[in-house]
Amino acid sequence: MTSLSTEQSSVDAGATTSRRAPTQFPFGSLTADGGASADPVLVEIVQGSLAAVEMEVETAIARTSRSPMIRDAHDFRAGIHDRKLRKLTGRSYSALVHPIARDFPLEEMVPGDVFFHNDVYESEGGIGHLPDLCVTVPVFHLNPETGKQEVVAFVQAFGHHDDIGGAVPGSMPSNATSVYEEGLAVPPIKLWDAGVPVRSALRIMTRNSRTPEALAADLDAECSACLMGAQRLGELFDRYGRDAVESAFDAIIDNTTRTYRREILSKIPVGTWVWEDYAEHDGVEDPKLHTQRITLTRTPEDDPEGERLILDFAGTSPQAKGPINHCGDYSDGVFLKKWLAPILRNLADTPERMAELDVNEGIVPLIEMRFPPKGTLLTPEFPAPTNARTFVILRLLGVLAGVIAKAVDGRMPADQETIRYTGVYGEDMEGRPYLMREVLGGGAGGRYYADGEDTIHVVPDSRNLPTEFTESRFPFIVEKLGLAKDSGGAGQFRGGLGYEKHIRMLKDANFMSIADRSILACWGVKGGKAGSPFQVVVNPGTPEEREIDALADAEPIKAGETIRIRTTGGGGWGDPLDRDPEMVVRDVLWDKVSEQKALEDYGVVLTGSVATDDLGHDAEATKRERERIRAERAEEPFFDRGPGYAALSGGNFAAEVDWA
Amino acid sequence: MPNDSQIRIGIDTGGTFTDVVAFDEASGTMVTTKTPSTPSDPAEGFLAGVAKVLDILGEDGSALSAISHGTTVATNQLLEGKVDRLGFITNEGYESVLEIARQSVPDGYGNSYFWVKPDRIVPRELVKGVAGRIDHNGAEIRPFDEEGARNVARWFRDQGITTLGICLLHAYANPAHEERLREIVAEEHPEAVVSVSSEVLREYREYERSMTTLVDAAVKPKLSRYINNIKRRLDEFTAEEGSVPFYVMKSNGGVLSADEVVHQPITTVLSGPAAGALGAALIGKIAGFDRILTCDGGGTSTDVSVVIDGEPTLTTEGSVGVYPSKIPMIDVVTVGAGGGSIAWLSAEGTLKVGPHSAGADPGPVCYAKGGNDVTITDAHVVLGRIPPHLLGGEIPLDVDGARTALEELSGKLGMSLEECAAGVLEISAWNQANALRQVTVKRGLDVRDFALTTFGGSGSLLLCRLMDILDIGTVVVPLNPGNLSAFGLLTVDVKNDYVQTQVSLHEKLDIAGTGQLFDELTERAAAALELEGFAPEDHQFVRTADLRYFGQAFEVRVSVDDGPFDEAAAEAVAERFHDEHRALYGYDFRGNGEQQVEWVNLRVSGPEVRSEPVQENPEVVEASRRAVCFEPATGYVDTPVYWRPDLAPGAQVTGPAIIEEFGSTVPLHPGFVARVDAYRNIIVTREGADS
Repeated sequence: MTSLSTEQSSVDAGATTSRRAPTQFPFGSLTADGGASADPVLVEIVQGSLAAVEMEVETAIARTSRSPMIRDAHDFRAGIHDRKLRKLTGRSYSALVHPIARDFPLEEMVPGDVFFHNDVYESEGGIGHLPDLCVTVPVFHLNPETGKQEVVAFVQAFGHHDDIGGAVPGSMPSNATSVYEEGLAVPPIKLWDAGVPVRSALRIMTRNSRTPEALAADLDAECSACLMGAQRLGELFDRYGRDAVESAFDAIIDNTTRTYRREILSKIPVGTWVWEDYAEHDGVEDPKLHTQRITLTRTPEDDPEGERLILDFAGTSPQAKGPINHCGDYSDGVFLKKWLAPILRNLADTPERMAELDVNEGIVPLIEMRFPPKGTLLTPEFPAPTNARTFVILRLLGVLAGVIAKAVDGRMPADQETIRYTGVYGEDMEGRPYLMREVLGGGAGGRYYADGEDTIHVVPDSRNLPTEFTESRFPFIVEKLGLAKDSGGAGQFRGGLGYEKHIRMLKDANFMSIADRSILACWGVKGGKAGSPFQVVVNPGTPEEREIDALADAEPIKAGETIRIRTTGGGGWGDPLDRDPEMVVRDVLWDKVSEQKALEDYGVVLTGSVATDDLGHDAEATKRERERIRAERAEEPFFDRGPGYAALSGGNFAAEVDWA
Repeated sequence: MPNDSQIRIGIDTGGTFTDVVAFDEASGTMVTTKTPSTPSDPAEGFLAGVAKVLDILGEDGSALSAISHGTTVATNQLLEGKVDRLGFITNEGYESVLEIARQSVPDGYGNSYFWVKPDRIVPRELVKGVAGRIDHNGAEIRPFDEEGARNVARWFRDQGITTLGICLLHAYANPAHEERLREIVAEEHPEAVVSVSSEVLREYREYERSMTTLVDAAVKPKLSRYINNIKRRLDEFTAEEGSVPFYVMKSNGGVLSADEVVHQPITTVLSGPAAGALGAALIGKIAGFDRILTCDGGGTSTDVSVVIDGEPTLTTEGSVGVYPSKIPMIDVVTVGAGGGSIAWLSAEGTLKVGPHSAGADPGPVCYAKGGNDVTITDAHVVLGRIPPHLLGGEIPLDVDGARTALEELSGKLGMSLEECAAGVLEISAWNQANALRQVTVKRGLDVRDFALTTFGGSGSLLLCRLMDILDIGTVVVPLNPGNLSAFGLLTVDVKNDYVQTQVSLHEKLDIAGTGQLFDELTERAAAALELEGFAPEDHQFVRTADLRYFGQAFEVRVSVDDGPFDEAAAEAVAERFHDEHRALYGYDFRGNGEQQVEWVNLRVSGPEVRSEPVQENPEVVEASRRAVCFEPATGYVDTPVYWRPDLAPGAQVTGPAIIEEFGSTVPLHPGFVARVDAYRNIIVTREGADS
């Protein structure tokens, strides 16, 4: 196109090796007018019912399942999809119905069928690792003309189960080099056949698990909950008729498309931008930059293929030997589209509005995905391992936030990294084996309207473990559960703080950790500084002090030793010299920023002290100090990755794509 | 106490009205009334209500024998976030416990990028740590730092912070450090009001216990002032100081004497909704239903809850406003669907109803007080489903104004006026229905196995639609549905239940004295029954007691065996308490010498309320007729209107019909039947169904 800028055409040239992922289920509507003539009252009733059914299914699973990852860490999701396989509900991500519809034609399904799969490479990209067991139940409606029960929708749920076999308990070997070490892979099968459970299938699965009873109970919980949900949805079709309900489905999805076009797409100018970020290790090779790159193109309104965002992943690193790969290049990338779209909400006008926006299938027509050829982190070839793909697809959220930040002059949040596993295991005081494993959050990035929040977690409802709980179960004392001072990236809006947790062991044990961002940090943007990386130190401040690697399977800890865990702080937003000095004084008073950093990072000259209840700042001296720092500092890139980047990049302090 | 003290009063202070129900034991008469609430000083409305109801009965204060009260003073303070400056003392190393919370971000995946954490209940600079540590068995790991504690207490004194919360790790297992800390605070900072975690909530989980303790501390000064003010002014009604027992309802449906409740104000935060659920529970039981869903529709919202075998279900996962509270409370789900809920068009052009409300001021368009937004009430009045006036005719409604506003809305949607009005109501009914499903599903129950009770000013307006949407067979509309919360207060401890607060450790329980108290309560219940005309041989009494673990703020009700009250009977009660506690909360402290059992209330319940003879097809007189639209496709149909007090037990009405009473209306759609039972409840079923 002649109207494209040179930057865009160069990207188009680079994208020649990229391609769309083929799909046999292209996006389309159920009714001829795409829901335009839907009854507005019914649309609201149907939308409310869908949300209620989804919540009821999740409530039922939470109530009856047995795995701690489901019960306590809330690592499970339900979703409702129409017969075009479009996701109708929008509170969270979910798996895909595509693999089921691919292998079992809808016309051949009968009431009482329940489908199952967890095979990552057969999942069309909807399942990321084998412990996520996925149950799909079709919803039926009687066609009065043919007298036949026809599939009109699907209720689906997947949850992270304790163990599905493989090399290690928990089925997540951090040093796996193939899927064969990660457990039993089940392609789409019938788990129930016309109302009759297929015992042989269940028996194969339980036989391969180290926790067969819990696995059976969890699957039972998922099946019952989805069947209940399917029953409820069927009643909605019976009450209002298929045409009226399907027209409402179309309207619900079309409303989302229109909302995102109006409130999100409109905020991004036409053009093309490139950015990349990295995972630092894959569990097998030495730390290095595992690149994930997005080239973002926002097309104009009159583009022949429509107004949309093109995300091209060309430039992404080759697939890793270790398990951080994610199967993304299937079915037009619809899983990744819905996984990444929540980031787009940050472009809405207010935080309240951001929270209101749902992500259902309606975002799909607005995003085009282009993938590099097979053999990258996002296009791995079977049997590349995938169990720790979380680190890649969580990073991808940040890559998208970053590349959009370049397009919108930084009006996006700075970086957060809020998932990692830490734990101790061994034998307790009575000699019984135990494993304490916790998913600890970190600080969120600063936003153009607020500081990043402290110690939060990207998965809703996922909780930390209270000291009063862990001390009663495990042989240690949590001497401190606080915030890691100075861990939040400096900025006009500071990054949130990570945890600082001190665990003093009462008995010899092993420490384990699976964490990224221990070398690289959460980036700051538009003048904001990077936060502090993840760090584990034993016996801090003593002659026996030693640091532990972020990927540790079994680090021996002696009774009496103290483990200090500091999790990542969020990146800062905006120039720290523009931060209101009163906020810096408050941060020092609240023990979030040290007096030293107040001066060094923020140029704030403090007066008085916390101890004497008279902490304040010298406005004139602060102004002079800030002017001095501004005059002396060199030109800065748009993104700050922190000092760890130089260690992995061969001495560069910023990447080429980091400059605005 | 004078012998003629026979008037028992229940008072429920709501946002708009204070509901009063009085029961005269001597005559068996029950009187209900309303007075305007007085938010600036709720005690004013309370006392005005007492005066008004006594006036109706032609009695004075000397006739009062008991008052029980559901209050929203604590709730409103929390909902409005009007919390004074608080201080918090915790363990060294845990000063950031409020900021860290449980790390979870509300709602959807990815919200962690834009969520802005609400301000903490105590800002970080008013949190102080003290050294010393207890472990989970209650053993001391490090001694308490007395000098550090003294410095902290003095610091708060110097800062002028006079309300403090204290929560130390594992204090539920051993409160020694907390108690020492409180003593030191009392010495160094005597005017401080203090809440201590081991007294508020003796459960593990430091964040939740800290929050619960701080919420308790936050509402303590105001609630204490309120309760003491009422107590003092109640004395003005009576000759003798403190002669009228004054009870306050707790969030779990129990009651406690006012003297006790000021020490644990957090237990009252949901006392209003609890009273409504209890009233409904009793009505449902009397009407013969053991599984009841309650639907309490007010001006801004609707509260729903589950009642099984007469007992409302409890939760310990509740919250009030933004503050989590682990105190057991009746599990009430609130949806933004009330009479004042606003109908609006979203940015996508779809029709939404609520959760925003026009409130009482300006209120719905038809109130003609400046409201421009179409509300649920406007849709009802335009369709003729409620009368064109409020409160039995006292206040006329502007039906034309409502119609004009609805015409504008329907025009934007391309619908007819009637379709639009019915659509607004249909969406609201589905919002209520989804909440009713949610409360049942989370307990693994099926909504179709329940009867529904609808009450509150707007609770009954959509009952036929709810029956249809939820496939529910029966709805019970109690008498005086607008006053059910106050009725609940009366029933719990006064009308049928005779209760005495008697706090005593189990091991120190005065067996003879307790037996005597039970006998006295039984005599009082028997006397009332005789007045109601029950022969002594028909008297049946159930004895129960409320017990708790020492230091807990919530009690568990257990039965007390018939027969003489002796050591064995007392032991049986304690055993039952351990069992029930385990069943409710998943643990008990049986055999743990550190955890003592404490008796709190003794109770004797008599048989149920008096019924009236059911007549065979009593005469049913139409009060009037008007055009009502039930189905937009059918349009307006000429519909009989009945005045509820005219409907005698046994009366039956077939839809379409409207049944009106003071403060509430039941629109009966075509295809539904209403009959009046022996207790004057309206029982709605489908036409042709067995009932």
